[in-house]
Amino acid sequence: MELLREGLKEALLLLIRFDKEVYSIIGLSIGLSFTSTVFSAFIGIPLGLYLGVKPFKFKKAFTRTIYTMMSLPPVVIGLLVALFLSRSGPLGTLGLLFTPTAMVIAQMILITPIILGITYNDAKQYGPAISQIGITLGASKFQTLKLLITEMRITLLIALVTGFGRAISEVGAVMIVGGNIKGHTRVMTTYIAMNNSMGNYAMAISMGIVLLLISFIVNTVLYRYVAGE
Amino acid sequence: MDINITNLVKKYHHKTVVDIDHTQFRSATIYGVTGDNGAGKTTLLKIIAGLERYDAGEILYNGNPLEQGMMKKITYLSQTPYLMRTSVYENIVYPLKIRNIDPMIIQNKAKNIMEELQITELKDQLATQLSGGESQKVALARALVFDPEVLLLDEPTASIDPATIDTIEEAITKRNKLQKMTVIMISHNMDQVKRMCHEIVYMKKGKQINIKE
Repeated sequence: MELLREGLKEALLLLIRFDKEVYSIIGLSIGLSFTSTVFSAFIGIPLGLYLGVKPFKFKKAFTRTIYTMMSLPPVVIGLLVALFLSRSGPLGTLGLLFTPTAMVIAQMILITPIILGITYNDAKQYGPAISQIGITLGASKFQTLKLLITEMRITLLIALVTGFGRAISEVGAVMIVGGNIKGHTRVMTTYIAMNNSMGNYAMAISMGIVLLLISFIVNTVLYRYVAGE
Repeated sequence: MDINITNLVKKYHHKTVVDIDHTQFRSATIYGVTGDNGAGKTTLLKIIAGLERYDAGEILYNGNPLEQGMMKKITYLSQTPYLMRTSVYENIVYPLKIRNIDPMIIQNKAKNIMEELQITELKDQLATQLSGGESQKVALARALVFDPEVLLLDEPTASIDPATIDTIEEAITKRNKLQKMTVIMISHNMDQVKRMCHEIVYMKKGKQINIKE
């Protein structure tokens, strides 16, 4: 309890003092997670909508694969991305290892299946009926797509928030590919892990509280939107 | 408006579900399609509506092959229609909005169809929270509001109270008389078929057996 109290006090002090390092870590965390969520959304949402609505062979096998990929082990993904981006790896010449770009790539591999899976699941269930309405009421293909997105807006929002939540709370993969370099690739989760291993529990707890606060705000916004709908 | 079907074949997993040599649906006529479950009635309607592909044959709409553009004149209403997650009014005006019709005309058309189907008081309600009968009336209003030439109905009044059935039947027959709308309606209710339809199409194992007046 004492540690928690200290952590809370430290968290408040860190935030009130406008500690440059802390705010740059928070900013980088949000920025990276936001970037990977946007890129993953560009891949996962159209693909999820298309595959959900269109009938195709091996749909059941595809569904199982997507669900499996939704729970990919982050450390394994981090390791694979690191191997690909390391100097001796196939993409080593790009020099991306231990950069924020590498962290975005790792996060994207982890959250694209989540966004795709959530979108696909609902598109599979409601997509055909929505498309049918579009066709039978004389909508063009573009208008039908617009209708599909409008009707599935809550699901898409949930997919985005879930993806963002996974990205911002991710530690294993970003630690491996980012390297937790101060002022360069250090994010909230790696900061927490580092301070915990160094015994700076108050610092770790304080950053944990900030992380929880961000998660709470994002989910509150989502909840209010869904309740409004 | 005539629909001519020739040598139409539709298969699901190598099983033939529709196999019609020739049939014609004429303008301004109400057809009642009957037959056992699995006779291919719904598949036939979905093919005409452009919702299902077919494996062989030809469908001519006024002498021209059925194309995507013609779907703006043909509409299909299922037994359990999907209503959009918005108000009843927004559901009804959707087909008019996507056709870029003048807002004043949209308002008038929506008002008239809602009055005709007795759903004016539901105007601002969320469409997904309606009862079965109310949902069917809203879906019918949405299907009729853009004055389609052909209305395809798949058991539109199954599990609906008698008063709602009367309202729905009246709206359909009125459109048929005044606007010469062709109606092809699947129904297991022979009383309803006799009451509404000019001709009866009987289907068995994918084949159209005959058309009776």
